[in-house]
Amino acid sequence: MRAFKLVAARDSGHAVALLTEHGPSVKVLAGGTDLLVDLKSAADVPDVVLDISRAADLKGIAVTERGLRIGALVTHTEIMRSPLVREAVPVLADAAHTIGAVQTRNLGTLGGNLVTCVPSMDSGPALIALDACVAVAGPNGTRELPLAEFFVGPRKTALAPGELLVAIVIPTESLGKPCSFLKFGLRKGQALALVNVAASAWIDPDRHAFVAPRIALGAVAPTVIRAPQAEASLEGRAVTPEAMAEAGRIAATEAQPISDFRASAEYRRELVAVLTRRALAAACARAEGAR
Amino acid sequence: MSELRIMVNGRVRTASVPPETTLLALLREHFGLTGAKLGCDVGDCGACTVIVDGHAVNACLVLAAQADGREVVTIEGLAPADPLHPIQQAFETHASLQCGFCGPGVILSAKALLDGNPDPTTAEIRDALAGNLCRCTGYTKMIEAVRVAAQALRGDRDTGAAAASPPAWSEA
Repeated sequence: MRAFKLVAARDSGHAVALLTEHGPSVKVLAGGTDLLVDLKSAADVPDVVLDISRAADLKGIAVTERGLRIGALVTHTEIMRSPLVREAVPVLADAAHTIGAVQTRNLGTLGGNLVTCVPSMDSGPALIALDACVAVAGPNGTRELPLAEFFVGPRKTALAPGELLVAIVIPTESLGKPCSFLKFGLRKGQALALVNVAASAWIDPDRHAFVAPRIALGAVAPTVIRAPQAEASLEGRAVTPEAMAEAGRIAATEAQPISDFRASAEYRRELVAVLTRRALAAACARAEGAR
Repeated sequence: MSELRIMVNGRVRTASVPPETTLLALLREHFGLTGAKLGCDVGDCGACTVIVDGHAVNACLVLAAQADGREVVTIEGLAPADPLHPIQQAFETHASLQCGFCGPGVILSAKALLDGNPDPTTAEIRDALAGNLCRCTGYTKMIEAVRVAAQALRGDRDTGAAAASPPAWSEA
């Protein structure tokens, strides 16, 4: 690794001050599973690396009046083991378990996975399907925005220079909402998703119909995306295998996959149809189980 | 320079290293602990696995400065050469390693698993070893060894007995 200056932040306020002080070229170090790989290979190593890994106010999972708040530094392992997550949003534990391997899950953070913002990230779809928001701290205070707006493009987020992702909030309305996540990779361990899909829905018990369905697709567009037409096809519709299969076919038309060395665009599109149908069925099964 | 004070294998070690030094480089080049291996250097192969504050991590993906004040266990800290740690003993007895390059990482991944889960299922063992690539022995014998080591360690807790006895042919 080329030499750089390392500065460490005590807390998020200190981190924002250091970001401002050192200018736009500073790189933020949290779990290091992405950044250290970049630092070892990239030609443009930053002059300054800001280590936020000891900022205590960026850790922890708590229920607040807004919903479930997950600090940006919470690791994938901590999400898997959190009783709060397993109770209110177990799909996040499922998704965390599909990331990398034990060693990288012990280091990698939820905030880091979102900020790195690769299209195949495994944290994004379930959070999008649960209408999650992110809290961002900057020189002018803290702002909150929907996670869907935080994702701008491959490796590009809505973070402005000097801003830091501090927390992810799953709104109270989404806590307990049946939701599932499915990932299709070429191996069980350490594989990037060819396609990953999350689906959530409330089930109206009287009409046995979908209410507020959400479908989020990963690795088939520049960022994690929703499939709004597929969602609309389900709203108010009775829960049937046909409805879920049709939503899968519609979602496949909403995906914008590319061909690369892992899979062709055609294959990914087919996977979207199949995984969407299965994810919806799994979310419905979760709803049945919760009743 | 990063001024460090780290508990390594039960002993406090200090060092002054450039900020870009990884924990792996610190262990190997400054402390002479070469059990953790430099394999892929990007967190894929697991040959550099060490245990930091109870968690198996890739030492190549941690800056030495991030380990300051923490507790690190490497393969050298697991046990003296004789007797081996029950996990090491099980790997030897079951011929679970050939070239051995991946071994320290695999065994530390197994230790981190068994410390938190004394009676893992095969699926849990596979999950725990998924971040450790082996290119010669394969995984079946490793999984067997972890299962046997788990039994031995549970036995230790119950009876104070030593590690599992080796199969008959090993005495030949």
